[in-house]
Amino acid sequence: METRIRLLLLSGMLLACSGCATMHWPWHRQKQPQQPPPVEVTTPGDQNTAPPSVVEPQVERRTITVPAIKAKNLELGGYYGELSIADFGAQPVAGARLDYHITEDLFFEGTYGRAKAGLTSFEELSGQTRLLSDAERRFTYYNVSLGYNVLPGEVFIGHRLAMTSALYLIGGIGEVTFAGDENFAVNFGAGFRVLPTDWLALHIDVQDIVFRSSDIGFAQLKNNLQGTIGATVFLW
Amino acid sequence: MCVLSLVSMPARAAHELLQVFVTQPYLELHTGPGRGYPVAQVVARGDAVDVLFRRTDWFKVRTERGIEGWAAARDLTQDSLADGTNFKVSLGDMAGFASHHWESGIYAGAYAGATLIAGYSALSLTDNLKIEVGASQFLGNVSNGYIVEAGLTHVFIPEWRVSPLVTVGTGYEHVSPKVLLTASTDRDDQVAYAGVGARLYLTRRFFFRGEYRQYVVFTRTNTNEVNEEWRLGFGFFY
Repeated sequence: METRIRLLLLSGMLLACSGCATMHWPWHRQKQPQQPPPVEVTTPGDQNTAPPSVVEPQVERRTITVPAIKAKNLELGGYYGELSIADFGAQPVAGARLDYHITEDLFFEGTYGRAKAGLTSFEELSGQTRLLSDAERRFTYYNVSLGYNVLPGEVFIGHRLAMTSALYLIGGIGEVTFAGDENFAVNFGAGFRVLPTDWLALHIDVQDIVFRSSDIGFAQLKNNLQGTIGATVFLW
Repeated sequence: MCVLSLVSMPARAAHELLQVFVTQPYLELHTGPGRGYPVAQVVARGDAVDVLFRRTDWFKVRTERGIEGWAAARDLTQDSLADGTNFKVSLGDMAGFASHHWESGIYAGAYAGATLIAGYSALSLTDNLKIEVGASQFLGNVSNGYIVEAGLTHVFIPEWRVSPLVTVGTGYEHVSPKVLLTASTDRDDQVAYAGVGARLYLTRRFFFRGEYRQYVVFTRTNTNEVNEEWRLGFGFFY
């Protein structure tokens, strides 16, 4: 009997305690649920509410001007030597030359030269007979050529001075005005260039200027050998 | 005085020289502007050189210790300037062949049966379009003469090793007959031309160029002359 009364009391207590958390007590009904604090939205124009700004660097970027590099690929100069005009003897020749170095191996060259032909053997022996007038004896030519530095090297003078040099082969086309006629010409030869300084070059050249001419009545191939020395200055 | 002024020029220009900093392990300086010249000096990483001038694809430089030598452009372009950027120069290669400012060349060929010698220079308006000026001399059995001309050339695909082109232009022709006939006198006429051709990249700054052209000579007679020309030659760009 005591056991049954005890079980009844314990069951009653258990029922009373298990519903405590779910019950709304009258003194709790006036309380509102806690709301999170409102977030203030600020605009960029609102200076009073703007967050502290990051420090802006006031250093101006330095502009570096890159100096231009001078190119010295162009040689300009002159030459002087002897030109053996076929049938008319060897005569002094002078001219101007312009060289443009494209690579370390190859260069273009343009030359203009002039000489005055002498007398043929026939004219020498016949006395006053002249085959050409003075104006027709003027031998002028130009040619445009391609050169190849086949043996670049150095020249040593003593034990303190070394100069760069090159042995080159050259060939091209051009025109020869002689005996009152203009003729297509082919030139080829070889030369040696030595540079005592970076801006000065000395040249020794041997070339053959070949053209077909009929100045003495019938067409024949004329070989005109030329040997010259010259100097050029590197300009650009 | 001239000699003195020439001697003093490098001293005045010394502060205006471009300075290149060696960022590679070392920079080789040769005794001359060519691959065959021996290496006489080596500049270590971190040191600087002043660039004095350029000859083809070589640069004459001076080290901080005052030693001068020649550096290859391909070596120097791997180093940097004072602001850390790479030292850049135009090198003769396929990229330069496709895109360059100037080109020049010489031709041989035939104009109306006469032997032709010609030269030209061209300014690139774009990689495709170029404005050209040229001069040519023709030497024949019957007459000699020369032509000066200006025109436009369109290269279709400049980045191709073989790039076709078309050209049109106008100019002035002077003809001197060789045979003294009654009606043969020197004459000057305006000409116009149109042509097709191609250019072939060879190596470095070199290319081969060939063209076929037709010239119309606006004579003073009732009929105009039409002359054919072909020309083959070499050109280089810079």
